[in-house]
Amino acid sequence: MQQAELLHGLSPHDAEELLKIGTRMTLKRGTVLFELGSPADSVYIVTQSRLSLTLPMMVRGREENVLIEERQTGQALGWSALIPPNRFTLTASAPFGAEVLRIPREVLAGHLTARPEVGYIVMRNVAEIVGQRLQVFQAMWLREMQRVVELSAAREASA
Amino acid sequence: MEMLLMGVTLSLLGVAVSAGLFMAATRDVRTTGQNAGLEPLPEPEPSQFFAPSVTPMARPIVSVDVLLLQIERHVRMEQAAAESFMAMPTVEMLHMPTASPLVH
Repeated sequence: MQQAELLHGLSPHDAEELLKIGTRMTLKRGTVLFELGSPADSVYIVTQSRLSLTLPMMVRGREENVLIEERQTGQALGWSALIPPNRFTLTASAPFGAEVLRIPREVLAGHLTARPEVGYIVMRNVAEIVGQRLQVFQAMWLREMQRVVELSAAREASA
Repeated sequence: MEMLLMGVTLSLLGVAVSAGLFMAATRDVRTTGQNAGLEPLPEPEPSQFFAPSVTPMARPIVSVDVLLLQIERHVRMEQAAAESFMAMPTVEMLHMPTASPLVH
């Protein structure tokens, strides 16, 4: 667990201290951990299996939760809890069941304020997670835009 | 004379077996063409005056569940492609095609 991405760069002692403030939660198959738009009151670290992050999309007139990203063992999710307006921007669920470590925002904030050197490293890790997600989605968005442009050109050519 | 008749009989038998195998193989192809999970294609609509002049490509209409699986697969492939681009940021990597059924 000390290899979790949120804990990179922390000493084993500091990582252990941080893990102690969390509570382990077992999620049954199909459990929704949090929903899009709900208050983000906790950060989670996946300790077993994986979680799906989804967004609603209209598919043939029906609203369906479509997979956007997956979080595996050791990865964090729910970083919206650390950033205003503290609302989840995705829905997280455990399609195969999972286990997570839940770290309440207020407790984490108190811990990080009391230990600013730990707070700096953790927030740097959060920035890295957010930055990587941004870069991946920028590339994915551009790839889709390229297809839109190609489809548009093909439509114009056939008109 | 007997040898000649025997040769002709064997040739006819060979032709009959080949024809039978060909028909069986053709029938198999037709059957496997109608995949499970795919809904039957709708009847073509009568052409309208404002319809595009080109004939739209005939694509099988898949069920919502199959479509959702395809979307999921597409997202995974696109994410992998985007991560590969991050590991080696070049124009070629950015536009590297995937085998996603949604874009083919």
